[in-house]
Amino acid sequence: MNSLQRFEVWVSVLMMLICAVFLWESWDLPPGTFEPLGSGPVPKATAFVIILCCIWVIITALKISPATEEMESDEEGLSISAGVLIFFTTVLYTVFLQFRVMPFSWMTTLFLFFTIWGLEQFSRKKLLPALLTGVIIGFATEYLFTEVFIVDLPTWSE
Amino acid sequence: MDFDLLITAMGQIFSPWPFFLLFIGTTLGIVVGAIPGMTGAMLIALTLPLTFYMDPFNAIILLISMYVGAISGGLITATLLRMPGTPAAVMTTFDGYPMARGGRPGRALGLGITASFVGGLISWITLATITKPLSIIATRFGPFEYFTLIMMAMVLIASVSEGTLAKGLISGLLGMLISMPGVDPATGMPRLTFDWYMLNGGLKLLPVLIGVFAVSQIIKDSLDIGKIPERIAMSSKGMLMSLRDFINQGVNLIRSSLIGTWVGILPGIGASIGSIIAYTAAKNMSKTPEKFGTGSEEGIVASEAANNATVGGALIPLIAMGIPGSVIDAILIGALMIHSIQPGPTLFLTNADIVWGMIAACLIANILMWVLMTSSVKYIAGLMYLPRSFVLPVVMVFCLIGSYALNNTMFDVWVMLIFGVLGFLMECAKIPLGPFVIGFVLAPLAEEKLRSGLMMTAGDFSPIFTRPLPLIFSILSVLLLFWPIVGDWLRSRKASGKQESK
Repeated sequence: MNSLQRFEVWVSVLMMLICAVFLWESWDLPPGTFEPLGSGPVPKATAFVIILCCIWVIITALKISPATEEMESDEEGLSISAGVLIFFTTVLYTVFLQFRVMPFSWMTTLFLFFTIWGLEQFSRKKLLPALLTGVIIGFATEYLFTEVFIVDLPTWSE
Repeated sequence: MDFDLLITAMGQIFSPWPFFLLFIGTTLGIVVGAIPGMTGAMLIALTLPLTFYMDPFNAIILLISMYVGAISGGLITATLLRMPGTPAAVMTTFDGYPMARGGRPGRALGLGITASFVGGLISWITLATITKPLSIIATRFGPFEYFTLIMMAMVLIASVSEGTLAKGLISGLLGMLISMPGVDPATGMPRLTFDWYMLNGGLKLLPVLIGVFAVSQIIKDSLDIGKIPERIAMSSKGMLMSLRDFINQGVNLIRSSLIGTWVGILPGIGASIGSIIAYTAAKNMSKTPEKFGTGSEEGIVASEAANNATVGGALIPLIAMGIPGSVIDAILIGALMIHSIQPGPTLFLTNADIVWGMIAACLIANILMWVLMTSSVKYIAGLMYLPRSFVLPVVMVFCLIGSYALNNTMFDVWVMLIFGVLGFLMECAKIPLGPFVIGFVLAPLAEEKLRSGLMMTAGDFSPIFTRPLPLIFSILSVLLLFWPIVGDWLRSRKASGKQESK
């Protein structure tokens, strides 16, 4: 099984789980009183058809012979660590914003600095440009969104 | 066509603030289209929160101009990097890049820019002339007509999307399912909220959209961060098309523009398919088909005329029926709804100024696009080489602020991140994202129409099969659904027949 087929199987399983949760939740919805259909049938039917399609995708993925070489050439040069880095720094940044641990401008500066510098593999040459970008964008976005667009940005409060 | 309303809308656009927004929108669209990995859908989704504070007329002008700019900007990277800036420009890479590498980048870009302009112009004429009559017809649609039309649109999107029909259906139906938590449109009672009060209002379009289109794209682009694009020396030589070029390419230009417009009108298909069909038609009808793929002028013209023509075409079902012609149109529907404007056949009656503003903006943005791109493509091209390690985290900050600004709650930011991961996983499994968003936008309308129709008939489904339009839409849906399966079966039968005869 090549990586596309593996992805197809796992993503289909994930979709089936999501649909199963929706099916479970829609099971208890009461039937319609003043209208014939009620709240439940449409989500139930939608979830059911998705599950059927997922089963079809899984069967097809398992049936087709793997084109391993083609897939491997597609994946050449992919930087998985960069994807992981940008995702996890974003999650951390969101957690910081959620708990308002610092002013918005500082949190954004730190997020941008670490992410950019990390994506540049912590190269010494990129330290200053990363820091400058972080500071400029961090403070500029805070000014723009609080003073111009009047958004109540999540920021540190005593 | 209401000329007076169109002229009034144009006059309004030419006042300082709307024109400034149109200029900014077109420029930003071109720039974003020219940066690989950033798409028009992403830009418009990120701009949507900024339009909350604007007058609806100005907001819609800004978004339409971004749409026009982004579809056109994609040709720069397609030509100079063999990397389509937007998915719509994928066919341009086949001939634009070889021509640019052959020492004629100015000529390749010039052909693409003018073809984009002509494509946009021809589709605009169609948009301005047939939208109102179509909306008058659509006002006669009952709930079953609407429901079956939406179902046909969903099947059409699923069957022409990248990947298999099953994957397209999974994507579209999942979008529909995800839109269902919240208040039931018929009873007004909460449903599928998992006893969690945050879901009482349902999942909002904007965080889902930013997650699926922008965050997933950022994660995907970060995987390619180490790849350094090959630079092509840029020159403006041959940028303007001569009269002889117009004569030589006239038929191709008109044919491709009409194909693009028609494909745009079909609900949910969009620019990529339009340019593929136009390119194939141009190749089949060319006197020199062997040149296609090696730097053919006809190839560039066909692809670019068609992809820009889909913009005007796709706005037709949006304005006339409230059904998106493409993913970006689905976002535009969201934008209209945010400003309490209900898209659909009555839009001409309730918000004529907005409709004519959209139509006028489409034309002026197209002209502005041509001026901006022919005069400054050399400088815009430089933006393609911006380091992604700097661009992606900055865009991520805008994604977060955009999602947060909708309701000033962090819940929407988490929703955005979850859908970012889901979108990324779907892309990894080659499940198309377009049907997901269109399903998300159309599901509430489809369910509302079905249930109101059933209320009128006391639960009787038979009007779907007894009324002419629902019957036609249902038959077309079934044909579209089974055609790929029958096609595969016929192909495999033909192949096995050939093997046996050998």
